[in-house]
Amino acid sequence: MENKTMLFNAVLIVMLCFLFGCTSVTVDQVKHHQSELHLGDSIVVIGRRTGSDYETEADLISCIGSALSQTNEALNVIPENDFVDKLYPWFEARTAPIHVRDLNRLLSYDKISQIIDDYQVQYIVWVDGNTERTRSSGSISCGLSPTGGACFGFGTWDTKSEYEATIWDYKSRQLVGKVSSVADGTSYMPAIVIPIPIIAPVQRHACKTMANQLSEFFTIN
Amino acid sequence: MRSHSERLVMKIKLFLVTFLLSLLLTSCKSTVDISGHFPSPVIDQLPYSIGVIFNKEFSDYRYIEKGEKRKKWEISVGDAQVEMLNVVLKAMFLKMEVTPDFQNTSGNTLDLFFQPNLENFQYNVPYETKGNMFEVWLKYNMKVYDSQGQIIADWVLTAYGKTPSEFFQTQEEALNDAMVIALRDLGAGLSLKFTQVPEINKWLKMQEKSNKSSTELVQNNFVNRMVLGI
Repeated sequence: MENKTMLFNAVLIVMLCFLFGCTSVTVDQVKHHQSELHLGDSIVVIGRRTGSDYETEADLISCIGSALSQTNEALNVIPENDFVDKLYPWFEARTAPIHVRDLNRLLSYDKISQIIDDYQVQYIVWVDGNTERTRSSGSISCGLSPTGGACFGFGTWDTKSEYEATIWDYKSRQLVGKVSSVADGTSYMPAIVIPIPIIAPVQRHACKTMANQLSEFFTIN
Repeated sequence: MRSHSERLVMKIKLFLVTFLLSLLLTSCKSTVDISGHFPSPVIDQLPYSIGVIFNKEFSDYRYIEKGEKRKKWEISVGDAQVEMLNVVLKAMFLKMEVTPDFQNTSGNTLDLFFQPNLENFQYNVPYETKGNMFEVWLKYNMKVYDSQGQIIADWVLTAYGKTPSEFFQTQEEALNDAMVIALRDLGAGLSLKFTQVPEINKWLKMQEKSNKSSTELVQNNFVNRMVLGI
C-alpha cells in the first residue's frame, strides 16, 4: 500500500514538472547613456510594427507594460493604446518615427510636443520582434463513433520569442540603449483518449525577463 | 432490458445527430461586422466646410467571399469606414456635414464636397501568409468637388492592416483587428496627405490668394472709409 502511494506521488511530481514545457531565456543589454527617472516621469512602451512578415504582438506590449509597473511601483508606464490613440495618426505603423532624430521633426509640431509633455514622458521604449513556431513533429489522430470519441498520438513543437527593446530619451533626443530577450521552449501534446496540452509559456517568459531587465535599466531617483 | 432493435435505433439516432452536428460545424460561414475605435487625428484644421457624400454602395459595403477554395466569409465594412471618415473629416475641416448629393442640407454654402469609393478589398488568412497573420488591403478612390459640383481632384488611396493570429482569439476577432488597423491607416493617409494631393494643394493656394486679396480689399475699404470719414 505504501509503495503504491509513493509511486502515485512520484508520477504526480513528474506530471507536474512536465505540465509546463521547458523554456530557456537569454537576455542582453547595451547602455550608451545614463538612464535616470525622476518622480513623476513616465515611460511609454510601444510595439514597432514595420516588419513585413511579422507583427509585434499587442498583448506582449501590454504584458511588458504591466510587468514593468509591477516590478517597481515608482515606474509610471503609459498604456500603448492610450498613447497611440491620443497622438493619432503620428504613431501608426507607417507614420511612427523610425530613428531618434525623427523625433525632432515630429516635435516641431506644437500640438504633438504638448501632448507628450502632458504625459511627462521621459523615455520611449520601442519593442520589435515576435513569437513563432519553429518546428513541429508527431501526429494525433481522433476518431468519432456513436459510442463516443477518442484521440491517440503525440505532438511536439518548438516556439521561439525574439524581442529587442530600443530606449529613446525623449527629452535629450538620444538613443539610451537596447535590451534584447530571446526565449526558446518546447511544448508537448500527448493524447490518450483526450489530448493533454503541455504548453511552454515562451512569450510570457520573454515578456517577464524583458520587463525585469528594463526595470534594472532605469535608475529611479 | 432494452431489445436489440431499440438499441439499434438509438445508435442510428446518435450517429445522425453526430453527423448533422459535424456537417453544421464544417459548413458554417464566418460573418464579421467590422467595429472598432477610431480616434480623432491631431492635425491642423483647414478653414473650409465640406460636404461628404457616402453613397449606398459605400455605406453598405459588404464583401462576400466567392472563391471555392476559401472559407466562406461575409465581411461588412460599410459602417466602420463611414464612422472612421466621419471622425477624421470632422477633425480635418472647420465644418463637415453628410450630404446626399452636391447640395448642402443645412442651408449654408459648402466649400468642398468629398466622395469616397472603396474600389478593392482583399484579405489573407494565416494559412495563406508566410507569417501566420491576418492581412487586409483596401484601395479607395477619393474624389473632391468644389461648391458647384465640379471635380477638383480624383486620386487613389491605399491602406493596409495586419494582425498575428493569437491563441485565444477567434478568426473573426483577428480579421476585425486587421481591418481596424487598415482603416486607421486609411485615416492617417487621408489626414496627412490630403493637402499634398497636387490638385487640392493648387485649390488651397488659390483660396488663400483670394482670401488674402479679399482681406486686403476689406482692409482697403476700411482704410478708405476711415480716410473718407464714412
